Amino acid sequence: MHDVAMIARENPSTSPAPKPSPRRGIGRFTLDIRQTISPGKQAAILAVSLAIGLIISVAILDLAGIAPLDLVRELAGVFNADSLRSVLVRAAPLILVGLGAGLAFRIGFWNLGLEGQMVFGGIAATAVSIYGIGPESTRLIVMGVAASLGGMLWVMLAYWMKIRFRVNEIISTLLMNYIASYFLLHLLYGAWQDSKTAFPQSSQYQPFERLSDIGYGVNAALLVALAAAAVAGWGVHLSRAGFYMRFISANPNMARVVGVPVRAISMAVIAISGVAAGLAGFVNVTSQEGRLTQSFFDGYVFSGVLIAFLSRNDPIVVVIVGFLLAVLFVTGQTLQVFYQIPFTMVQLIEAIIVIAVASSEFFIRHRIRWTR
Amino acid sequence: MTEFLINWLANAPGTAAPYAFAALGLIISERSGVLNLTAEGLMLVGAVAGLGASLTLGGHPLIALLVAMLAASLVSLLFAGLVVILRVNQVIAGLSIVFFCQGLTGLIGTLANWQNHPIIGLGKIAIWPLSEIPVVGRILFVQDPIVYLAIPIFFGVSFFLQKSMLGLKLRAVGENPAAADAAGLNVSLYRIGAIVAGSALVGLAGGYISVVSVKLWVTGMVGGRGWIAVALVVFARWAPWPALAGALLFGCIEGVVPRIAAAGISVPQYLMLMTPYVATIAVMMWVGARNRGYLGEPGALGQPHVREERR
Repeated sequence: MHDVAMIARENPSTSPAPKPSPRRGIGRFTLDIRQTISPGKQAAILAVSLAIGLIISVAILDLAGIAPLDLVRELAGVFNADSLRSVLVRAAPLILVGLGAGLAFRIGFWNLGLEGQMVFGGIAATAVSIYGIGPESTRLIVMGVAASLGGMLWVMLAYWMKIRFRVNEIISTLLMNYIASYFLLHLLYGAWQDSKTAFPQSSQYQPFERLSDIGYGVNAALLVALAAAAVAGWGVHLSRAGFYMRFISANPNMARVVGVPVRAISMAVIAISGVAAGLAGFVNVTSQEGRLTQSFFDGYVFSGVLIAFLSRNDPIVVVIVGFLLAVLFVTGQTLQVFYQIPFTMVQLIEAIIVIAVASSEFFIRHRIRWTR
Repeated sequence: MTEFLINWLANAPGTAAPYAFAALGLIISERSGVLNLTAEGLMLVGAVAGLGASLTLGGHPLIALLVAMLAASLVSLLFAGLVVILRVNQVIAGLSIVFFCQGLTGLIGTLANWQNHPIIGLGKIAIWPLSEIPVVGRILFVQDPIVYLAIPIFFGVSFFLQKSMLGLKLRAVGENPAAADAAGLNVSLYRIGAIVAGSALVGLAGGYISVVSVKLWVTGMVGGRGWIAVALVVFARWAPWPALAGALLFGCIEGVVPRIAAAGISVPQYLMLMTPYVATIAVMMWVGARNRGYLGEPGALGQPHVREERR
């Protein structure tokens, strides 16, 4: 008596592709959803897409007048002592906004108000400086705490609007950036304007109110950023809250039903995201400018989005990507000075890289077949 | 006082036109189910293309506006490819395109030296017999041609969406792409078409700002109006005529700020410049408070459609 196993052995199934239909016609692309994909293949697809993005960027730079060889020379020149120092200084706020963006994106809150939170972080820190709160030895710490509070309050305002009024946070946080920057201008052209110059900037901070180098060309700002990244990395990978975050991002309804404190975790994570952005503002004004200026926050929203996106919202990878982006910025400044390429070129390159990497997701999740 | 009011209301349609066209373009693409956040960037593309066409081609400003629409449609093809073919997350794709356009337009404007070159642009036309009516005439019948064109365009798009077969199919694709696919509609083609058509209107809005309103190009001159247009679409519940009403409201709000300053009343300048953005957020809060449930969005807004995916 034939049994099922024998029948199965005698009729082995072939490949999962459908049999070609007898009628010939022009085929079409169909997509298979990949059930699994090896990390090696995933990394390869990511690398290829990143390479394509970089090649397109180099081509555009070539069109704008910079030969690729010159570009390589400039990039290599970044790694001498002086430029490396400015790269590290620039990396600190970038890492912090990357952390802020990544943490919020992890639980599905599109915190695009990073610039506004930086602004309020800077305003809070400057207020501490102007009103002389705290003794000299701890002034910097008080400024940092104030900046964290400033950024946190600004993002919690947007979160409250989402919870209470269902205002889409993409629009509200973006518009609040504009509101924050106008408030900053109101202060800088008004009550806080430096009486010595006519420019819209505050007076210089005192020396003990600045984040300074601590040796080997490393600035204290970088320490703040690395410490924040370490805390965030521990939180995301090792703590129970990080586990809850993964649960919430996978299936918020089930998380709520099972007993995960969704509202509390979301609120905490978004608050921390605001703290990170506020700290970015604090680090920026105390280490780079030394005073509150009108455009210290320019471009940080998309930089944060880029870093979070490229690092898959992982705090440890954020540090690496933030460093690489700082290299790009410093190179861009060199190009601006020596080749008269406007800084908007860097914006363009950032966007091209994000578009290239975003496109790779498609090839990771799907396999394309040509069927008739 | 009446002079102030008449002046203010007479300039409101000109200030409202970019919001109206941008919101209408966004409505068309979002009705097909694609969450379109590219308005800010495409308005910049339209603005720089319109002004560049004025400077290089000369000719009638309407040609420059057509070039603006074309340029925005071309760039929107990139967005369409990303979200329809490559099924990229529509929020990320939208933000990337905005940043791409900001970089690209800043670059082109600077390298081609189009910054701060004033042009003649398009002026207002008075419809003679009617514009002599004491109060209403100056407000309603002395406007530039694009504002007059807005009315038939809005009628056309409203008719298209609500009463035509093509519009019905488009809305079907936006509400339930799986069902529309099963019924035989090519979801990808409808979405690409909606994005390109909507982006033409968004480009017109941008071109209007540079060619008609301000009559020159400065980097980043759109200044957040694209995001306000995105908010307007939510406020209008994805319908054309409420979007026009909202645009007029915002035109009035944006117009009152410089007028109050010019009237000699001293107000904190930058706090007044915040008003459009604060007003937008206030409007969105009002929308959320009044609709406890459904906001009126297309059913499948923001979800990429892959036929082979089983949900």
